[in-house]
Amino acid sequence: MQSNQVNAQSTETEKVLIIACAGTDKALGSVTRVIAFKVVEKLRPNETTLVSIPPLVAEVKPYSELVKKYPSIIIDGCAERCATKLAIKNGAKMKGRIFLPQSAQKYNLKPNTAFDIGPEGEELAEKTAQEIAVQVDKLLGKVS
Amino acid sequence: MTLAKDKVGIICCSGEDLPEGTISRVATRLVLEKLRPDDTVTLCLPLFLAGGEDERAFARVFPTIAVDGCGKKCAEVGTTKYSGKPVATIVVSEIMKKYPQVRATSHQKLNAEEMEIAREIAEEIAKKVDEILCSQTK
Repeated sequence: MQSNQVNAQSTETEKVLIIACAGTDKALGSVTRVIAFKVVEKLRPNETTLVSIPPLVAEVKPYSELVKKYPSIIIDGCAERCATKLAIKNGAKMKGRIFLPQSAQKYNLKPNTAFDIGPEGEELAEKTAQEIAVQVDKLLGKVS
Repeated sequence: MTLAKDKVGIICCSGEDLPEGTISRVATRLVLEKLRPDDTVTLCLPLFLAGGEDERAFARVFPTIAVDGCGKKCAEVGTTKYSGKPVATIVVSEIMKKYPQVRATSHQKLNAEEMEIAREIAEEIAKKVDEILCSQTK
């Protein structure tokens, strides 16, 4: 298990949780997954923890405990807003939310497919991940 | 009258927690897009769990295959809870025991060895799809 992933021992330090829909049937669902990894593995590895939705819903510890303790940033890939619904239902403290179709529109970037998000999907993931990193810093009081 | 062709729903865990979740996702997409595009549909697990009635109704009526990354079997458990037990469950971590030399590490893009395993798992899913559809036409 990597240090930036869910770990019961990591709960002593202040963290922001990243919860992505990671939906399998739309390209933007795949992009949410890439965004989450960019944030927790590259941009803010020490400040964030990835929470995977399936085990969260299955009430697997420590996920079910972490969401009640730490603030979450939620990334939804489509209008169904599954990540938001499931996170809130399972007690998450939502402090930020990305609705990716809106971001795609804002940046005028269109990913290819769910299997291969392509260069525009990668760019969308990078730009959105940067936005989330700034939001993480704000939540942790690192910037005003 | 033309009878509509049956479909098999594939529900993968796609978990971000373990590399096996990524393999489950890639294997599922390979089946849907390359191996059995006319015989399969994907059911989005988050949507399914969030209460997507279309997804749940499909899984109540049509056969499903759960593709889970690990022994928690979130896809199988979720499908069983809301619609009915999948006809088959494939657990990536179990299949990977056949390859002790490969240690999955990729969360995003699979390396060559992991991709090879994803292809093998996709072939296994496709075989299950054929078995299911064949048994339904008998």
